[in-house]
Amino acid sequence: MKASPYLVLAFVLMVCFTLATGIEPRASTWSNRTKSNNVFSMLFGDGRRLFANQFFTMADVYFHSGYYPSIFDLREEGTKEIVAATHGQAENEEQEKKEDFLGKPKDWIDRFGRHFHITEHTHLEHGNEREILPWLRLAADMDPQKIETYTVGSFFMRMHLNQPREAEAFLREGLRNNPNSYEILFELGQLYDENDHDTGRARDVWQLALHKWSKDPEAVKDNKLFFEEITVHLAQLEREAGNWQQAINWFQAAQKVSPDPNALQQRIDEIKKKMAAQPSPTNSQPH
Amino acid sequence: MSIILKTEKLRVEFTSGELRQTTKVALGSLDLEVNVGEVFGFLGPNGAGKTTAINVLLGFVPPTRGAAYLFGIDVRQPIARQRIGYLPEMTYYYKFLTAEELLRFYARIFGLPRAEADKRIDQLLKLVELEQARKRSIKSYSKGMQQRVGLAQALINNPDLLILDEPTSGLDPLGRMKVREIIQRLKNEGKTVFFSSHELGEVETVCDRVAIINQGELKATGRVSDLVAQHQANLEKAFLDIIGYQTQSAS
Amino acid sequence: MNTIWALAGVVIKEMYRRKDFYVLFVLTALITIAAGMVNFFDDPKIVRYVKDICMLLIWISALLIAIVTTARQIPAERESRTIFPLLAKPVTRGQFILGKFFGCWLATGIALLVFYVFFAIITGSREQYWPWLTYLQAIWLQWAMLAVVIALSLCGSIISAAPSSTTTICFIAVAGILLFGGHLNMVALHQSQPLQTIFYTIYFLIPHLEWFDIRDRVIYDWGLVNWLDCVLATLYAAAYTGLFLLLTWLGFRRKSLNT
Repeated sequence: MKASPYLVLAFVLMVCFTLATGIEPRASTWSNRTKSNNVFSMLFGDGRRLFANQFFTMADVYFHSGYYPSIFDLREEGTKEIVAATHGQAENEEQEKKEDFLGKPKDWIDRFGRHFHITEHTHLEHGNEREILPWLRLAADMDPQKIETYTVGSFFMRMHLNQPREAEAFLREGLRNNPNSYEILFELGQLYDENDHDTGRARDVWQLALHKWSKDPEAVKDNKLFFEEITVHLAQLEREAGNWQQAINWFQAAQKVSPDPNALQQRIDEIKKKMAAQPSPTNSQPH
Repeated sequence: MSIILKTEKLRVEFTSGELRQTTKVALGSLDLEVNVGEVFGFLGPNGAGKTTAINVLLGFVPPTRGAAYLFGIDVRQPIARQRIGYLPEMTYYYKFLTAEELLRFYARIFGLPRAEADKRIDQLLKLVELEQARKRSIKSYSKGMQQRVGLAQALINNPDLLILDEPTSGLDPLGRMKVREIIQRLKNEGKTVFFSSHELGEVETVCDRVAIINQGELKATGRVSDLVAQHQANLEKAFLDIIGYQTQSAS
Repeated sequence: MNTIWALAGVVIKEMYRRKDFYVLFVLTALITIAAGMVNFFDDPKIVRYVKDICMLLIWISALLIAIVTTARQIPAERESRTIFPLLAKPVTRGQFILGKFFGCWLATGIALLVFYVFFAIITGSREQYWPWLTYLQAIWLQWAMLAVVIALSLCGSIISAAPSSTTTICFIAVAGILLFGGHLNMVALHQSQPLQTIFYTIYFLIPHLEWFDIRDRVIYDWGLVNWLDCVLATLYAAAYTGLFLLLTWLGFRRKSLNT
């Protein structure tokens, strides 16, 4: 007896369907990868973290409009990763401009090749900083635990692109992925303080950041500068708010770890002078 | 009668790749002459050196010693091939072209003016009975159609000498008959045809003269009728005698 | 020249009748359009990453088209035996090589032009800005570089009969030069003898294809390369192309073609 090929086809289809209905409930427990709404997570799994640093570097390359050291230049000159230095610090920018990783041409091939490549150190400005955002977005998608991505992205959005709400959303996303990150909380406080001028929220967030820092033994041991940075910011915030005693208390706390306690003492003295001239309205203690 | 194709003590040695040592003499010392207007059959068993001799004539293989001439010009000069047509054994022409495009390409190589090329292409497609399929890509052609388009390309420059390497190999009886008809028609037009073949019946039908080679050496040359008379047998028997093959009955 | 153009015409026909080019173009277009549709932080003006991705795809596609098309030319002619009726005509082996070279180069040039028009449309539609001269210079330099790559691949296809191995070796060599060629002098500095001499020799011998990559200038709007430098680079590419074609001819002119 010869079976019609169409019958065989129908039978095979039926077998496929039956198997699919039987296997589907089990298969859904085999892996979570395909359920992810992140395409990179789906494609690379945890291996995507390998790409995060590269994308973060790409943001840096874009910030410098393509003027960027290769691994060979880094080996040659010991040039550092630049993005940290460009974190809005003019003095670092000037210093960076002096750093010419290309050096003098080594031979005629090198000299001629420079006519085709970018040899001028510049930084994006006038809103063009937006061009680095896709890479930071991708870096965050690739490695949600890379805290620097959120802080750098937020910095550019709120300081250069007038996008404080997007910056806040990005930081909050960072916080969801890194609930104990005192760095993100600190950046969020800066956003409330500098962009929103919301002293109360800034104070709360910074104090929470300080609390998170204090609960992290490694940070307490290795990142004392953060304590100084945040206490100084809190002190300045209280000074602006007219809470002079609190400001003095924060400055005094900062003095304990500061490499330059005399500078902080000067600020304390200035506040004390003002207090002497006009009594402070509040007198609460730092947390 | 003037000579159109000539070889003088033609010797071809193939050397092994690694040690550059002589491993095989493909042609010993071949002397051949083909006259204008004749159909010349080049016979020999497999490995006799027929294709090597054709390869030398076409400049694909350089001779180790001796020389070969087409129209009196050394075959090492490309101009020697200006007035010849060549059909290789089995060739798969550019699959992405149509027969018309293929012929136009070869016409351009010969520098034919556009109007002349168009006329020639029409004639040839009619001759090889591919008019209906001229706009179809060659990849859709049967083996016989491919061989016929090959024959058309060999004739694009209206050559005075046609070199055919096993032109009916792999074709069905109808295909063979068509190729034979075309050769006959070319002969009637006064063209010279030099072809190698295993098909002795075919050779007997269309050839004026034949040359028989074996193991790189020329064993016999002459008119088919003379060879047959000399050996008092049909061409097949004469061929076997000449190459020294001992049939069972003889031994 | 008629013979060379006739041969080149067949190669061009082959390119546009095969699927390779269309597949690569569609792939490039899809990825670029998909990248362009992603919204980053609600900012519609972001454009450089789209240019970057599109340019990278154009470079990869152009290299693939150039190397794959070239590497298969001579082996395919031999495999399908079309080389025999061709060389049985008054075609010298030099003309055959030049015909194949110009065919591949022109075919790649046409492909490049299509890719760049797409690039200009995509980026121009977002930026409302068309720096035509910069694009022209980028196309020209890339095309000049591809001439070297095609000549190199043609040379490789004489040495190795298998198109796959020629393609792989050429792709590795070209990618190696593009990524590391300009830095070999720095690598040499850190080596002891005789490695240092070896690295320097390689550095001075290889064609510096990385010069022709001016993607950064297009992406970051750095403007034009000095035209004189462009001319010098073109001459440099022509010299290396000539060198590889000569090597190809030397390898091919006495090669026995057994039917």
